[in-house]
Amino acid sequence: MTGIMENFFAPKSVAVIGASATTGKPGNVVIKNIRDNGFKGKLYLVNPRGGRIEGLAVCTSIDELPHGIDQAIVTLPAVAAPDTVRALGARGIPAIVLAASGFAEVDQMGEALQAELGAAIRESGVRVIGPNTTGHVSTPANFTSSFFPLGKVPGGHISYITQTGNFCGISLRHIMSAENFGVCRVVGLGNKVDVEESELLDYLGDDPETHAILLYLESIKYPKRFHRVASRVTKKKPVILLKGGASDEGAAAAQAHTGSLAANGRVVDGAMEQAGVTRIYKYSQLFHVAKALAAMPVPAGNRVSFLSPSGAFTVCMTDYCRAIGLEVPQLEEITRKRLQKFAPPFIRMRNPVDIFGSAGLVGYEKAYGDALDAVLSDRNIDAAVVIMMLTTESGIPGYDFLVKLARKHRGKPFYVTFMGQHEHNVAAKAYLEPRGVPCYMQVEEPFEVLSVLSRCRRSLGR
Amino acid sequence: MNTRAARIIQAARAAGQTTLSEYDSKRVLKLYGVPTSKEVLVTSQTAARTAASKIGYPVVLKACSADVTHKTELGLVAVGLGTGKELMEAFRLIRKRAGPDYDGAWLVQEMVSGQREVMIGMVRDAQFGPSVMFGLGGIFTEILQDVSFRVAPVRKRDALDMMAAIRAHRILDGVRGMKPVDRHVMAQAIMALGRIGLDFPEISEIDVNPMIIRGSRPVAVDGLIVLGE
Repeated sequence: MTGIMENFFAPKSVAVIGASATTGKPGNVVIKNIRDNGFKGKLYLVNPRGGRIEGLAVCTSIDELPHGIDQAIVTLPAVAAPDTVRALGARGIPAIVLAASGFAEVDQMGEALQAELGAAIRESGVRVIGPNTTGHVSTPANFTSSFFPLGKVPGGHISYITQTGNFCGISLRHIMSAENFGVCRVVGLGNKVDVEESELLDYLGDDPETHAILLYLESIKYPKRFHRVASRVTKKKPVILLKGGASDEGAAAAQAHTGSLAANGRVVDGAMEQAGVTRIYKYSQLFHVAKALAAMPVPAGNRVSFLSPSGAFTVCMTDYCRAIGLEVPQLEEITRKRLQKFAPPFIRMRNPVDIFGSAGLVGYEKAYGDALDAVLSDRNIDAAVVIMMLTTESGIPGYDFLVKLARKHRGKPFYVTFMGQHEHNVAAKAYLEPRGVPCYMQVEEPFEVLSVLSRCRRSLGR
Repeated sequence: MNTRAARIIQAARAAGQTTLSEYDSKRVLKLYGVPTSKEVLVTSQTAARTAASKIGYPVVLKACSADVTHKTELGLVAVGLGTGKELMEAFRLIRKRAGPDYDGAWLVQEMVSGQREVMIGMVRDAQFGPSVMFGLGGIFTEILQDVSFRVAPVRKRDALDMMAAIRAHRILDGVRGMKPVDRHVMAQAIMALGRIGLDFPEISEIDVNPMIIRGSRPVAVDGLIVLGE
């Protein structure tokens, strides 16, 4: 791949403008982040005071930097941005990440400053991510421009395009501490003064390292372009969108009914549906859906089976499946017979699978393992959910059978969820997820993910 | 672009109109393949009678002018006129309601019967450009707001998706002894509005409401094309 995006996502040399020796300052954290992530390119630092920071010699001005640097990260205050951009442009640095806040998101003075920044960008011909962003991450390049202390970001094939400054900070910290999946490219768009979602989606659509793209957007800068790009990319890989602020989108003054009905984001909804973009409506699903995509294939359809040791769940979750567009179909007769083998004769085994009796008769692992193998082999089933009820008294099973089944059934996804003693649930998740089995702490969550991904499936390969 | 449609729109603009009359709106729709009701535009009572005999009773009589966009609310529509006598009575009544200054024409239409009404429309969205709508028609349009949108150009698959996307989509199936709606014809009509929207930037909105489902086929019995900049 070539092009300007490579300067952002695979830089060979990077300069930090506003580098600082003071621990905790953005200009210092960003250096530590870059080092912690094992960046192998050249790193240059600029600070008017010169000297050495983190063992590196410091240039006192941008003019002292060598030519041919791929990218600059600017951690200076907002007011310095336009001049800095011009100076970097003059030095031939094509890609810039602007961290500072204090632009159009704040007040009228900030708006004026942002307009001036826009002019500086156009005049210099540079490309800019930001301002007002924690930056971006590119794990294939062992690189980040974030000034939020991250440490080594785990690599993977999930990419994010987000219109929130917190993503390459707090949200990424959440992923790294609460979940067990890796990311590929992550961008906090900030105020989108230059680089915006359509261009990034286009790039990530062709990025072989990116297998799925999740977006959080509050606005779409070039709607027609986004529509065109998304229509192309959604055929190749999952594109999942959380769109904030949809309820504010009003219609233009209308003389006809159609115009007045075009309110409440209905045109955006239709346009995204048409382009094959899968919508989500919960922030937490940005993580829940991602970890499913990171570990398991997209289900071939919406037909679900689930294993539950509680009648309440077989009833409630069947209702919930129907409410969110999932089917809980009948199993093939061969599957049913196999399930019946380990079950007490007075329980008639079917979908959903009431596993309580079998677990009592043949033990937890054998009952769950054989039943899960059976439903995953069933041609009527596209995906499965395992509900485990773990308590100290009832004993804690080994979980390797789930890992083995995940390896055996690579074409069909299954997820695990829990009810019971929290510490055991947490331990099970900590064991299973790094081994490729996604776990969800709330019992509805895996079903919600399957609902999202079965919609996603309709777009793929159209 | 359809040149005959272009001439109709051009003439309306030259006359300073902000909307096309129902008759002209439906002429444009028909030129793009939207099925419309049989109708004749007349300027006299005698001509109305002749037109009605040609179309066949029962008929509908409407005041038709670019200045009149809320005909039903103003009482300027009479439906189910079964005889020449009823037509003449309706003519006199509507002329009285239209007032002495009314200088528009009269539209004699075939009476299209069917239990189901849908609506299609087009709006020039500030973000996505010409966008096409499908939904429940008639009095339910505003109450239920059960509609779906797609951005033009609308492919056939998009049009079929739009029909499936409304909550009441089962009304298009063969329910209560009614025939399933011809989704191919419906899709062609939806796609046509996208083409009109792309061909004529001067059109800001289109309402085709209602389209009555006669048997299995949708027929536009009213239409409004709004001109913008």
